[in-house]
Amino acid sequence: MKINYTSVMIAGKAGDGVLFTGNVLAKILKMSGLEIVTYRDFPSNIRGEPTNYTIRASIKRIYGRADKLDILLAFDCEAILRHEKKMAKGGVVLCDGEDFIEIAPSVTNKVTHHKFLLKKLARENFGKKIFKNMIALGALSYILDLDSSIIKQVISEMFLEKKGEGVVQKNINAINLGFEEAKKIIEERYRHVLLRKKEKNRLFLSGNEAIALGALAAGCRFFAAYPICPATEIWQWLAINLPQFNGIVIQTEDELAAVNMALGASYAGVRTMTSTSGPGASLMMEAFGLSGMAEIPIVVAHVQRTGPSTGMPTKTEQGDLNQWVYGSHGEFPRIILSPGTVEECFEFTIQAFNLAEKYQCPVILLTEQDYGQNLRTVKKFDLSRVKIDRGKLLSQEELLKIKDFKRYEFTKDGISPRAIPSQIGGIHMVEGNEHNERGYRNEDSENRVKMMEKRMKKLKSASRELIPPKVWGEKDGEIGVIGFGSTFGPIQEAIKQLKERGIKAKFLQLRTLWPFPTREVDQFVSKSREIFVVENNFTGQLNTLINSQVRPVIKLKSIRKYSSDSFVPQEISIPIQRRSR
Amino acid sequence: MRKKLDYHLEDPTWCNGCGIYAIFDALKSTAVSLKIEPEQLVIVTGIGCHGRLNNYFKAYGFHGLHGRVLPVATGIKLSNPELHVVAVSGDGDAYSIGMGHFIHSLRRNISITYLVVDNRIFALTQGQTSPTSRLGFVSNSSPYGSREYPLDGPQLALAAGGTYIARGYSGEPSRLAALIKGGMSHKGFALIDVLSPCVTQNKVNTYTWFKKNIYYLEEDSSFNPRDKRKAWERTSANGKIPVGLIYQEEKPSFEELVLPDREKPLVFNDLKISIKKFNRILEKFK
Repeated sequence: MKINYTSVMIAGKAGDGVLFTGNVLAKILKMSGLEIVTYRDFPSNIRGEPTNYTIRASIKRIYGRADKLDILLAFDCEAILRHEKKMAKGGVVLCDGEDFIEIAPSVTNKVTHHKFLLKKLARENFGKKIFKNMIALGALSYILDLDSSIIKQVISEMFLEKKGEGVVQKNINAINLGFEEAKKIIEERYRHVLLRKKEKNRLFLSGNEAIALGALAAGCRFFAAYPICPATEIWQWLAINLPQFNGIVIQTEDELAAVNMALGASYAGVRTMTSTSGPGASLMMEAFGLSGMAEIPIVVAHVQRTGPSTGMPTKTEQGDLNQWVYGSHGEFPRIILSPGTVEECFEFTIQAFNLAEKYQCPVILLTEQDYGQNLRTVKKFDLSRVKIDRGKLLSQEELLKIKDFKRYEFTKDGISPRAIPSQIGGIHMVEGNEHNERGYRNEDSENRVKMMEKRMKKLKSASRELIPPKVWGEKDGEIGVIGFGSTFGPIQEAIKQLKERGIKAKFLQLRTLWPFPTREVDQFVSKSREIFVVENNFTGQLNTLINSQVRPVIKLKSIRKYSSDSFVPQEISIPIQRRSR
Repeated sequence: MRKKLDYHLEDPTWCNGCGIYAIFDALKSTAVSLKIEPEQLVIVTGIGCHGRLNNYFKAYGFHGLHGRVLPVATGIKLSNPELHVVAVSGDGDAYSIGMGHFIHSLRRNISITYLVVDNRIFALTQGQTSPTSRLGFVSNSSPYGSREYPLDGPQLALAAGGTYIARGYSGEPSRLAALIKGGMSHKGFALIDVLSPCVTQNKVNTYTWFKKNIYYLEEDSSFNPRDKRKAWERTSANGKIPVGLIYQEEKPSFEELVLPDREKPLVFNDLKISIKKFNRILEKFK
């Protein structure tokens, strides 16, 4: 019988080829028309520590990790001890270890264990240990019944141009060897024969790459950043591609320089962006306020990692929500967007640039390492749907028609016309100090009140244009779940699991975290008997935020995880089942 | 032809006798002599008494955060290299909180004219020791005398690869204007550290003190600002402080090296891109 989905983990030590093997497998499964979610668990060093890479493939749409593993391919036996308990019934474990003792299937939840000496096979047949990766892929292709022509296509794309036909053939030979060796030791009935679909022109990329693509499409032509995990891929992609569109990427001396340089470029009239993670965001806080005060548009992509301090640079968390909602001294308007999927990373990035220029304030794209660095299959992005809105940025002609240009003019909606250096008739100052309508420093208290109100009312009119929350699942469900970002996938699946157990639940995905969508959340809460707030942090930052922004709700229950891993569905569905009345 | 008055927005309210008046005036004369339209000039200032400068000067202005003048100025220059970008800092803004950016901007050799109003004290905050205050300097923050050795901006600039390094003195406005003009005509980063007495807070480094303790490099025929070794000797020697052009060399500037299309500033880009080109990029993700 063919199956609809699988979850394969490749585990070993950093430097073992786990990433390489995982990427090739993921690509083959993608080309087999399946929906893919990858999940890498890797240390923040180059070699030596345990690492693993899970590839989840499914015929149906998926957005996150699975509860269990179906196949575990371990480059050392230690990995088995670490991951054995995650194996699903009927799972297959392959281990490359001389010291491995085969365990009978009956003993361990019907999981079959097989000694599979990859390195030995590689050395004996190909003279080099490195071929173990391809032999492993061959074994997996036997278990999953992968299409040999797709495998050949993927391997050719990887090696043909750079290394030639000989290398392609040698790798194919290694895959074939792995297939045959696996066939010898794994009985037909233990295989996980996976269904395939026709591949339909989809993309396979990470949230970080989608943000970079979104920035390009949105007209970002200046990007300045400082290297930091797990946000660097945004920069790396733009560094290669922006110059082809007359744009530049600058590596700055620190995050203070990155954000201030971006502000300078934005003031000069270019769409600008910076990207960072927790520690860098802390350094950017002062300039975040300058953007708000001087009303200079800027987009900051913040890919959250595990904090506080240096924390765990390559692991995921949702611990930096408070930082952007409450962060920096003083009060100023800000917009925080939270994509839940890789598609939304692309779409929201474009929105972020439009909102930043329209409301002349900082816009934060808050994502996470989880879908920031891991790969997903998505429908091809459509550039024809991209609209660029530069708000009240004046052209030279428009500016010349204005008799007395005031950069911070008091207007009905609080948003003032904007001129840029070099324009005739637009001379003004942008000020981090409190200022008058022309931008010149002013400490008069009457002016202060008017300026404060001018800035703060900008977002009042914005609510209709901000990305609203989205309701998923059973619309009339009495259980309501609220979450943002990476919890999107696991909550969706948790709701399905609850349905199977006779519990009707719905899910409110928050996509703009600030200004807080009070009306929609209030409505959702009032129509639910019980509310569960799901988030990847210790203190329940979203839970607190909801409580502070909607009518007092006593029925909020908090489901939190702070292990540095993202949620799997059961970690949400089981507590809901247990804790709902 | 523009006049100095064309750049005058408002009468400054700095303390009478403050050295910065000479800098304010020299900047105006430079704009006149280089025929820079006010719209083509951007002045970026930091936090300190100098930060008021663009409240009085008619040009585009950016008054940002303490110590972050140079990144802001860099962002502006890279977006539109046709603009003249003048960055102004005090010794605290440049050499204390902004030191990292100072070194890296020199290293990048971006075409910005950087005026450091060096009064050897934090004046706006009512008189604390600065990185250029001498050892033993008594102030609000070092009532028993400073226990830290001072640094020297031009000397650091030399070590960091600066291509136009000068030291001016507020007591000599015409020589100062010549140095600023040289800096604004220079391709690459131009530092003009200006010894500029604070008449209110600093009772040690007064006009009289500076007059006694400086000498002019242009009056020394053995000195050549193209000789890096000599420049190093002069900036590291104890005794009198050298004033004038310390070092200059020609080197490609950052904007020349980094901008993909030197004819078309980033700010004039058409933001729409071709669907065909975009789709070609997407192919790499298939």
